[in-house]
Amino acid sequence: MNLMYLLQMTDSTFPVGTFSFSNGLETASHTGIVHDAESLEQYTRSVARQGAFSDGVAALLAYRAAKKGDAGRVIEIDKELMLFKMNDEARMMLQRMGKKLAELAVKLFPDNRIISDWLGAIRTETTPGTYPVAQGLAFAASGLGEDELFASHQYGVINMVLSAALRCVRVSHYDTQLILQKLCAESDALYKEAREMNFEDMNSFVPEMDIFASLHEKGNMRMFMN
Amino acid sequence: MAFPKTYEYTDVEIVNFNQAREMKPYLRTPRAMYVGAPGKHGYLRLGFETDASGRSILRELDRRAPLIVQQELYFDEELPDMPCVYILSSGGPNVDGDRYRQIITLKENAMAFVSTGAATKLARMQDNYSGLLQTIELGPGSYLEYLPEPVIPCAHTRFISDTCMKVAPTATVFYSEIFMAGRKYYGDGELFDYDILSVCTHGERPDGEQLFREKFIIDPGRQPIRDIGVMHGFDIFANVLVMTPEANIGPLYEATEAFYNADEHLAAGITHLPGKAGLLFKVLGMETGPVKRVVREFCSKVRQQVKGKPLPPEFPWR
Repeated sequence: MNLMYLLQMTDSTFPVGTFSFSNGLETASHTGIVHDAESLEQYTRSVARQGAFSDGVAALLAYRAAKKGDAGRVIEIDKELMLFKMNDEARMMLQRMGKKLAELAVKLFPDNRIISDWLGAIRTETTPGTYPVAQGLAFAASGLGEDELFASHQYGVINMVLSAALRCVRVSHYDTQLILQKLCAESDALYKEAREMNFEDMNSFVPEMDIFASLHEKGNMRMFMN
Repeated sequence: MAFPKTYEYTDVEIVNFNQAREMKPYLRTPRAMYVGAPGKHGYLRLGFETDASGRSILRELDRRAPLIVQQELYFDEELPDMPCVYILSSGGPNVDGDRYRQIITLKENAMAFVSTGAATKLARMQDNYSGLLQTIELGPGSYLEYLPEPVIPCAHTRFISDTCMKVAPTATVFYSEIFMAGRKYYGDGELFDYDILSVCTHGERPDGEQLFREKFIIDPGRQPIRDIGVMHGFDIFANVLVMTPEANIGPLYEATEAFYNADEHLAAGITHLPGKAGLLFKVLGMETGPVKRVVREFCSKVRQQVKGKPLPPEFPWR
């Protein structure tokens, strides 16, 4: 029945609020740069790759720390990920979703000390409470594997962009499902790299996306929270 | 303990990035001169401070080939009391197996401008890599502009750098880097033919409090570099980190425009660094001229905010 837990935590109805962030896609579409299925595929691939080598790595590290029962290391990873987040809105999104997932996870796994301690640390502001760390803890508690955690993480990132695209890019559901299928197939290669990485290996190179995010942060037109 | 401390050559470890995961494929012993050979392990220490009259001077200068810094000059017409130095390399480009160690310190209330004499060329490499380890330490109230000429990687270049900026809460550093895609007009054009650029810049306070860590790895052979969101159609990328007192951050953010000009192929964005440490500014373009202009305009805003003066016009030969 592990598969059902995996489906539950990956489902877009899982109440953490992924639906309302667009990762700068709105600006990319407003400028006309993302305007069809092909350009959307490229953009989503960039988001997925960046997510894999930053948040994805943090989720895996948190999962391993939770499996070892190392609450101190969980907080370290949480803080390290925040040092790496170069954007106000990305930090806000990560913390908002992280706290929501932590609050849900203490209900789903009431006997799990690591999660309840971590939520306590978020409430006293001794740790930032990022979403990838929350995912790592929840997956460790549910008995799912780290490959499943990574798959769920990447699926969430890709799906968040594609769902937003249905509202702001001229693409059909067929287009987005085809892109999803293609990018899911590429996720295995990303996992093989991400699982070998540590905090000092985390990296991100998406300068055009960073500029879209900045334009969005400075602009007035906002359909999504990011 | 005094901050920044005075480094001695003997205090400094041999630069070694062999543990970096992304450099693992590039660890063969160079068939040419060995790693660490004289002339292949550059060392540079620049220590700026104020003299008895309060004027900033270059008090400490220690260097090992191929790095050269000559006497400081006072050529900035807007800040005539600011010492300006150019870092030169007698060896020409960075070559296979080169290592560099640079330490720049500014004591309380000192100011300085540091640049390079020409673009930093990164030669073709076959066995090993070129690495740069940098430390920048800024005491209270000090001010550093670091505005080097662009970096030009050739085909099969491998380069890694790590820059630690240890900055007092009342100090300001403007740290910029411009990366070209390659020798754009060499032969049929050499764009993104290099093996890897790995660039990490991290900021902290003198007491060791970590503020941010930015790392980007560009490995064009393994990553879809021309995808939307990455470099897309652009050939030049500039990255600027500004650490400055919290009171300056808001006004600078407001005064700096984010734009995407598809006609001129020029774009820029600005965001806040974590830890209320300052700002991060990125520019994309097609040629170095317009990108440098945007970086200098941003630097001018920073100088205006901190020192009440703009940047002077760039020399016509630069």
